[in-house]
Amino acid sequence: MPNQRESPVDPGARAAALVACIGNELVADDAIGYEVYQRLRRMALPGETRVEFVGVGGLALLDLLKGDERLLVTVDAVQLGAAAGTIHRLSWDELPAAAACAVSVHGIGLRETVEIGRILYPELIPPVIRLVGVEGRCFDRMRAAMTPATAAAADGAAEAVRQLITTHEVQSDGYGTA
Amino acid sequence: MNRTITIDPVTRIEGHARVFLNLAEDGSLASAGLVVNELRGFERILVGMEADRMPLITARICGVCPAAHHLAASHALDNAAGVEVPPAGKLLRELLYMGHIIHSHALSLFVLQGPDLALGLDADPAARNVVGIVKANPELAKKALRCRTLGQKINELVGGRGVHPVTSVAGGIAFVLDAEKRRILAEWSAELAALAPELAAAAKGLLLKQLELHPSLMQDWVAPLWNLGTVKDGRVSLLEGQLCAVDETGALRAEFPVTEYAERLAESVVDWSYMKEVRISHEGERYDYRVGPLARVNCADGFGTPAADAELAALRGLGGRPCHVTVFNTYARVIELLYAVERAQEIVADQAILGPARVPVRFRGGRGVGHVEAPRGTLIHDYEIDENGIVRSANLIVATQQNYVSINRTIAQAAASHVIGKGDDAALLNAVEFGIRCYDPCLSCATHALGAMPLEVVVTRGGRPLRTVRRNEQ
Repeated sequence: MPNQRESPVDPGARAAALVACIGNELVADDAIGYEVYQRLRRMALPGETRVEFVGVGGLALLDLLKGDERLLVTVDAVQLGAAAGTIHRLSWDELPAAAACAVSVHGIGLRETVEIGRILYPELIPPVIRLVGVEGRCFDRMRAAMTPATAAAADGAAEAVRQLITTHEVQSDGYGTA
Repeated sequence: MNRTITIDPVTRIEGHARVFLNLAEDGSLASAGLVVNELRGFERILVGMEADRMPLITARICGVCPAAHHLAASHALDNAAGVEVPPAGKLLRELLYMGHIIHSHALSLFVLQGPDLALGLDADPAARNVVGIVKANPELAKKALRCRTLGQKINELVGGRGVHPVTSVAGGIAFVLDAEKRRILAEWSAELAALAPELAAAAKGLLLKQLELHPSLMQDWVAPLWNLGTVKDGRVSLLEGQLCAVDETGALRAEFPVTEYAERLAESVVDWSYMKEVRISHEGERYDYRVGPLARVNCADGFGTPAADAELAALRGLGGRPCHVTVFNTYARVIELLYAVERAQEIVADQAILGPARVPVRFRGGRGVGHVEAPRGTLIHDYEIDENGIVRSANLIVATQQNYVSINRTIAQAAASHVIGKGDDAALLNAVEFGIRCYDPCLSCATHALGAMPLEVVVTRGGRPLRTVRRNEQ
C-alpha cells in the first residue's frame, strides 16, 4: 500500500523474514507481543530477519512489508479458548478472522489485512504467513495484572518464532503453501 | 414472553460490548444501552511518574489515536507550566495532527465504515466485510489506503519514527524541521491534495445512495442533542480554542476554556456499565450531548479552507444547521478529511514553521488541563503536578465516553425502527451495528477490550430474557 514501488522484487529473491509483534505493553496480557519482541531483539536470528513492534497492527502491517520477505510471522495475544499461556502456532488456513481472534486491530485482523494485501499489492505479500499466538485472559487491566502463565510463555513464544524462521530458511519449496 | 436478542459480535469496533434492549410488558421499548468493560487503572499508573513523560506514556494507551493523547497531554503540561508555545511549535504540532486526522478518518471511512457505506443497512452480514469492498473496487481502495498511509507518514515524520509519536513535549516540539524534510512533507501533502477530492466524492456518493435507499436514516435516525466542540475565530479548531456548547436549536449556550471542564461536564455512574455517562451541566440542568465531527461542525461557522467549506455548505443544505442526523457524522468526517489535507498544505507552505519550536519549561506545582479534538471528539487531560514535576493525580475524559449517552439513544432508535413489532433478528443486528458505527467508537481507551469483541444484544421483556440471537462472522 503503502510504499509505492516501481520495481517489484523478483520473487526468486525473496529471502528475508519479517516478524511483527503486536500488542500494548501497558495492558495486562496484551503486553505479551511486546515481551516477545524484546526477547527476539536480543536473540540471534537466522538469515535476514527484521523484527518490528507494531502496536495495534492491522493495516500498518502492510506498511512494514518490503516485498522481499519469504516469511511473515506475527506475534500476538489471542483468546482462542485454551489455557492461559498456551502457545499457538497457526498457519494461514488456521488464522482466525478478526471476530474470532483476540486482539483485533480496530476491527481489522491479520487475516483481513493479508487478504486485502493480496488483492491490492500481491507483490508485497510473503508466500508463507504464520501466527504465533499466546493465549491471554486479562485485557481490561494494566500491566501489573498480567496473567503469570501468559507472561511465562514469552520465552517459549520467542523460541517458536526462531524455529519458524529456521525452518523456512532451509525450506526452498515454501512457496504457494501459505 | 420475554425477548433476549444477542448480537455477537460487533465487528470493526475495538472493544468488548454488549447491547441490551429492555421491552416493557406491552412490547414497547423501555430502555436500551451499550455495556462496556472499562480498562481499569490507567490513570492510576500515571500517578508518581514524571509529568514530562505524560505525552509519551498516554500515547501508548491507545493504538488507535496515539497522536491525540500525545498532544492533549502536551497541552496540559503547557498549561501547568504556564508557557505559550512558539508559532513554529504550534504549526508542527498541528501538522503532526493533520497527518493523524487524515490517517484516522481515511481508516474510519473506507475500512471500518466502508462496508456499511458500500453495502448499506440491509446487506447480508456475510457479505458486509472490508475484503469484499476492496475486491469490488480495488482502484478506489488503493487510493484510500494510500491516503491513510500518507497521513501516517506525515504523522511519523513530524512525530518521530515508530508506532507512537514522541516529539511533542511541554513547551513545544523537540524537533527541527530542515529543508529536506519540508520538501518531503510538501510532496506528500501535494499527493494527498490530488487524492482527497476523489475519495471524498466517493464516500459522499455512497452515503447519499444509502440515504436514498433508506429514507428512515434522515427521518428516524435523528437525535436532537447539544453539541460540544472547539472553536477558534468562529472556525472548527482541532488543537486550540474555546469549548462551545450549542443546543439542539443551534443556539450557543456556553463558551468556556477547557480548564473549566470539571464544572461544565457532569459524570454519572450507571449500574449496568463500567462506563460513566457524561452530560453538559448548564444553569442547574443536565443536557445530553455529542462530540466528534458532526458536533464540531454544529458548533462552528466553517473551517476556513475552500474545499471543506464548500462541502460543509452542501451538508447544511441536506441536513440543516444544526444537523442531528446521526449518519451525518460520516459526512462531517469526509469534510474533516478534506480540511486536514488542505490545512496540511497550508502549514507546510508557512515560513513560520521554520522558527524556534520550543520554550523551556519548569513545573512549579499545580494543575494542568489541556485538550484536543480527537478524531472521535473532545479529549481532555487533567494533571495535578507537584513542585518536583511529579504527577499526583490524573484524569482523562475521552470522546467515546462523552458520546455514550447519544450512542445509547441511537441504539434505542435502531431498535425502535427495526425491532419493535418485527421478528427480523438480522435486520436488528445490522441496524444496531450500523448505528453504533456512525460514532466510530473507540472503546480501547474509553474502556478496554481486546479479544473477541463480542457485542451482545440482550433483549428482555418485562425483565425476563426473551430471546438470544447470535451471529458469528464465519
